[in-house]
Formats: sequence, structure tokens, C-alpha cells
Amino acid sequence: MTRRTLELELNRVEGDLTFQVELEDGRVADARCIGTTYRGFEQIMLGRTPMDALVITPRICGICSTAHLYAAVRALEDAWDIAPPANAVHIRNVSLMAEIIQSDLRQTFLFFTPDFCHARYAASPRFDAIGAAFTPFKGWMHLETLRYSRRVIEIVALFAGQWPHSSHMMPGGVTAPATARRIVDGQSLIAELTRWVERRILGGDLGAWLEIAHADEFGNWVLERPEAALTLLSQAARFAGLHTMGFGSPHLLSFGAFALPEPMVGRSHWLAPGVRFGSDAPVVPLDPSAIGEQVRYSWFKPHPGGKHPFEGETVPDYQPASERYSWIKAPRYGGEVMQTGPLADLVVDGDPLVVDLYRREGGSAWLRQLARLRRMSQLLLFLRRTLDQLATRISEPHRIPVPPDAKRDGQGAGMLTAARGALGHWIGIRDGVFDRYQVITPTAWNASPRDSDGVRGHWEESLIGVPVQDPEDPLEIGHVIRSHDPCLACAVHCLDSGRRIRFGV
Amino acid sequence: MRLLWMQAGACGGDTLSLLCADNPTLEQLIEEGLELLWHPSLSVAPPRYLEWLIDAITTGRTPLDILCVEGSLIAGPRNTGLWDSLRDRGKKDAIAELAEAATYVLAVGTCAAYGGIHAAPPNPADCVGMQFDKASPGGLLPAAWRSRSGFPVINLAGCPTHPNTIARFLAFLLRGLPVTLDELQRPADFFSTTVHQGCSRNEYHEYDVEDTILGDRGCLFFNLGCQGPLTLATCNQELWNGRSSKTRVGVPCFGCTSPDFPRDTNLFLTEKIGHIPLRLPIGVQRANYMAYKDLAHEATPARLIRREMEP
Repeated sequence: MTRRTLELELNRVEGDLTFQVELEDGRVADARCIGTTYRGFEQIMLGRTPMDALVITPRICGICSTAHLYAAVRALEDAWDIAPPANAVHIRNVSLMAEIIQSDLRQTFLFFTPDFCHARYAASPRFDAIGAAFTPFKGWMHLETLRYSRRVIEIVALFAGQWPHSSHMMPGGVTAPATARRIVDGQSLIAELTRWVERRILGGDLGAWLEIAHADEFGNWVLERPEAALTLLSQAARFAGLHTMGFGSPHLLSFGAFALPEPMVGRSHWLAPGVRFGSDAPVVPLDPSAIGEQVRYSWFKPHPGGKHPFEGETVPDYQPASERYSWIKAPRYGGEVMQTGPLADLVVDGDPLVVDLYRREGGSAWLRQLARLRRMSQLLLFLRRTLDQLATRISEPHRIPVPPDAKRDGQGAGMLTAARGALGHWIGIRDGVFDRYQVITPTAWNASPRDSDGVRGHWEESLIGVPVQDPEDPLEIGHVIRSHDPCLACAVHCLDSGRRIRFGV
Repeated sequence: MRLLWMQAGACGGDTLSLLCADNPTLEQLIEEGLELLWHPSLSVAPPRYLEWLIDAITTGRTPLDILCVEGSLIAGPRNTGLWDSLRDRGKKDAIAELAEAATYVLAVGTCAAYGGIHAAPPNPADCVGMQFDKASPGGLLPAAWRSRSGFPVINLAGCPTHPNTIARFLAFLLRGLPVTLDELQRPADFFSTTVHQGCSRNEYHEYDVEDTILGDRGCLFFNLGCQGPLTLATCNQELWNGRSSKTRVGVPCFGCTSPDFPRDTNLFLTEKIGHIPLRLPIGVQRANYMAYKDLAHEATPARLIRREMEP
């Protein structure tokens, strides 16, 4: 038996990332996802007036700033018991949907697919076509993704003024209405984007693609469209064996995507919230009180078990020589390691195709990436419908007045789906200023260290058993980790100590 | 020209902003001859290559034309920089060494320029900018430091920097256009315009029609914390993402290109003396401004009082 420890840094993720991986006979036997960036957001928030969260928290993350804004405003509305009008909810959803489409496109074709141009895959029968599509700054798909990801973000700018880092949501609504001009501009942009997605990514009609419900239909779809980016990605990923690796936790968590102001087509959300324990279990309702953060392997003052973010304490206790190894806490749901992101969103929501593939082959690195494209294509439809819905109610208010006495002390939570999955902000307000600000990001769920029972985090677990052909160039690990869409800027845990640490071994 | 992009304590927002640049685009710049030696989000080479590259640059084997730094420079703990480490040393030290070798050094974003959001009180991670600590000269590099071109660190301020400010300034360097800097070391071509210029709420401001709650059509300067008349940036002269700006959709300007961003006060509130803002538009005398506002108030047309004008 040969055993070898690798220290791996990873680029083409949002932020820096380092893994410590143990190889045994060419496979990953153990993995540690170590530490994170601390940039002090909670320390900065404490003592500030609540509205400042709308300016400061979007800056936690450059690629999902709208999601942080939305979570912050929902937490404030929860604390102050404010229900925004329907148009405000639709406008917020439009902004977040466009941001997520942007992120899914950039993650897929700027961060994930370049690895398939590696010389190791030269034996693939599609290698030339894959290179012609995915080579950075040369391949057609890379170049067109740069162009169209800029276009989709224009939809956010119509309502938010700019992207990234706007503050157009406030308790009680949004700062500007959906005028007819903005709606028409948005509709035109989404039509243009949809045409491109159909032509270049799907190779066919969006509606027909979303109708596909079974693995064999999917197989036919890609075979009939050899030049579509979806086909190239799928063939490249399966040639690399990504459908046989990178599974991680079988427990799926979704906070629900895009809550609707009133039920539409019988739904409360565009993508339903819920939890699914294990591959064969039914989806059960989300219970926010089941969330707890554990710290046995994190550099924090120890406490037994998990603490809900409303009770969470974050007292740093940096001991590099101990068994503890991370500045990320270990969020758990009912004590279990969860995975969150597009795969969890679509399985929990019950997308027939993703559920069927999940049942047949499990939540592999390939399926995770496919689910991201599937969700992106669904969002095109949701976005169009939301704009159409706004068009029928232009004269309705985009905000409600918030009486000054509503802004009272209390606590609140804002939970939603960001590009990378379940995002929550938990706040406490006392004497008119924040006395608590806890953020659990999707990447904190996925990238967590071991918990109190010594159970590995989702990313760590997803690497176990992954074959590594060349330890000097561990391409497979890059594929698996990038399939999770890591956002290390987002893994920021908000300490109240005033320390800032980043991933690193 | 060869460009190396380093991320320090960053959210990645300036990288995303660069990807949003539409004139010129990043891909146009690359086609024109900008060579990305390394960018953490875009390079294909493994990070081990970055180590090799830093060594090659700092030992003079590989020339470096442009060093872009994104994010706050983290000095903690105790000035070691180890809270943001690169191979067992502070990343700030590697960045300082790279700066010595670079022809031009660009601080992209207010974090890299002045410390930015991470340096907000109580500055938990001991963050500074490349050559400033908030508005005080001297940051990671001393105030007198100059790069090989003779320029100090060039501050492309903003949170994030306007997409086309990044891309156009890179085009200036590629095409050899002249560069002049203001006293905060920002290129004058992009920082000689207030955010107020071109704001589509200007007529409301002109006639003293000031909003007191968010979500309306009036001016945001007197009550809602807008820094537009005090902030230099092209946001309303060259629209964001080709479409709009914060003030156009009713979001106050937070002054994110200024060294004191984010202000240590309620960001949605304008501090006032009497009914006039404490901080006046750049260069304006209080007595004159009060007289002007009183006159303007008298002249207000009813269509503005009724907020009939769409900003």
C-alpha cells in the first residue's frame, strides 16, 4: 500500500481554496477542507444601524451579492413583521434569478469546462470539438459565455441600477417600480438570452428540453445534438468518469427558491423548499429550528453539539497544533451533513429528469453540473413568467410605508436559495442596532469540516475514493471540487473576535 | 503587456465587474495583446504555476507590466499578514515584492486602494490599502513609493470599480495614452465627474424636492444619505452594465470611490445642520448654498412637487 499526502490549492473557484488529501493506492482515502477567509463582516455589522446591512452584506460576495441583499432584507422584514407587496417580491425575484443564471453560466463555462481541454483527454473522440468550444478566450462557448453572462446581468441592472453590489431592496419593498420600459427591456433581454441558450447550449427548444423526464430521453437528446454545449459537456464529463465519482452527502437541503407573493400555478415557490434524507426517502418540510452549527473541528471555543444561529456564539480559539483544523464551523441539519446547491434544489423540487438520473446513478459530479444547467434553463422560464406577471400589474405598489415604530428590537431570519444553494442571515437587533449577525452560506454547508461526531463535511466526503491518476496534476480532484461550485468568498464565517483567517494548510 | 492579478482580502466583485466591462471587453483587450499571466478565477494553469511565476517575476526572469491587486491588504495578526497567507507567509509581502518588479501597479477597487469595507471600524483584520490607509497616505507601501514607471499605485477606486473604468484604463496602458492622477492617485479621466452629474434626479435636486423615504422619485441627497454630489465616479455618465445606475433606481450613492467608504454612520441618513446637509457638494460654500436652496424651493414647479417626472 502506498500512502501519500497532497496539499492542493485550487483556482477557478470564487476565492482561494486548499485541500489536504491523503492518497492510498491511487485513490483519495481522506480529505480535509481546511479553514477559510475571515473578513470580519459580523464585527463590522455589530453596533451598526440595521439598514446598513443592505449596503455591507452584499459585499460579502461579488458573485452573489443580490442573494445576500435579499437575505438581509428578509431578515429585517422578519424581525419587523413587514410583508412587502407582490410587485416588490417579483422584482426581487427577477434580480436574483438573473444573478443566478449569470453565476451558473460563468461557473459552468468559465470555471468548470476548461479542465476538459487537458491533454489527458486527447483520446476522447470529441476532444477537438471540446477544445474548440471550451478553450479559454478561444473556444466559442467560452467567448459567448463572456458575452451573454454580461447580457443577463443587464436584467439585474434594470431593477437594481448596477451589478454587482446594489442595495435596491429595503424593508417593505424595492426602491424602484417595474415600469413598462424596464419590463420590456427585461423581456427583450431574456428572449435574446433564451435564443442563445437554445441554439448553443441545448441545441433545441427550451420547452421541449424542460419536458424531458427520463434518462433515456436525455441520452437521445444529446446524441441528436452533437454540437450543443450540453452534449459536449456531458460527453467530456462522462469520458472523464465524473458520473462515477464525487457523490458526498446523500442528504439534500433546499431553502426554496423564489418565494411567491401569492400562489402561482399552485406553488408557493418556483422551487420548493424541503429536505431529503438519503437517496430513497421522501422529501420532508424544512424545519429552520433543526439547523445547528458545530465546532469540534473548528477553531472556536468548544461547545457540545450544535447551536442554532440565533444562539450561536463565535469565540475564536486558534490552536493550529490540535485536531481542529478549520475556520469554518460545521452547519448540520438535524445533526446530519447536508449538501446544498442546484442538485439538491431540483431533487427536492422533484424535477423528473434530475430525479430519474439521481435514482439511477446517484448525485455524481457530472449530475451536479448537469443539474446546474438544468436549473439555469428553468430560471429562463421563471424569469420570463415573472416579468410577464409584472406586466399585468404595473400600477401596483412596489413598496409599502414602514412606520417608524415598526423598526423595533428583535430577531429575524432571511433564508433563501442563492446560486450555490441554501443561504441564511440570522440577525438580532437591540437598542436599535445589531447585536448579532450570523451568516450561513451555501459553501459553509458544503465545505464544512468534520462535526462533533467526527463525520466529514460534504466536500470532504465527496472526494473519498476518487481515483487520482497523476498526483502531480490531480485533475480529478479539480473536477469534483469545481462541480460543487465553491465560493470561498462566501464561506466567510462571521466571527466576533476580529480575526481573519483564510484557507491554507 | 503582461498582467498578473492578485486577490487579497476580496469578495471577487472587481473581477466580476471586469467581466461585465462592455467597452472594451476583457476578451477584446486580450485579443489586442493583454496577456493574462495569472488570474485566480480565469487561469487554467494550476496554482503551483503561480508560485513559479511569482518567483520568476521577483527574480527578474519574467517581466511584469501590470500588477492588479484586488481586495484589502491584510496585516493581521501583528503585522504578519498570516490571516491571508500564501505558502506560509503573508500574501501582502508577496504583493509588495511583486509591486517592486511591476511597471504599473493598479489597486482595483476601494479595498485595494484605501482598505475599503474590511477596514470599516473596528477594522478587525488590520486591513490597509496598497498605498493608503483610508485617506492617509501610506498603506502596504509607503507614500513615497513609486513603481518602475515612476507612478505611485494607481487607484481604480470603487466598490466595485465601474466595469469600464477597469477595462478602459487597461486600454489606456495598452495603447500608451497619457495618465494623470488626482491627489488620491485615481486616474483623472475617470474621477473628474461627480456621481451627481448625469443623475436623472437632478431636476428634483435643482428645485429642492427631497425625498424622505426610499422608493420615491425625488432627490436622495438631503435626507437619505446620497453622496452623489461629493463623490467622483462615472456612474451616471457611463451607465452600469450598459443600463442604469444606483441613483436612477432610487438607491443612494454611498460614496464607494472615496477613501472613507463605508462611512461610519447610518448609510441611509444625511447628517444635517438645520435643513442643509453637513457635507455639501464639493467646493460649495454653506451660505451660498442655503440662499440658492431657498430660492430654488420658491421656484419649484408643481410637476416636481407631485413627483410626476420619472427619473
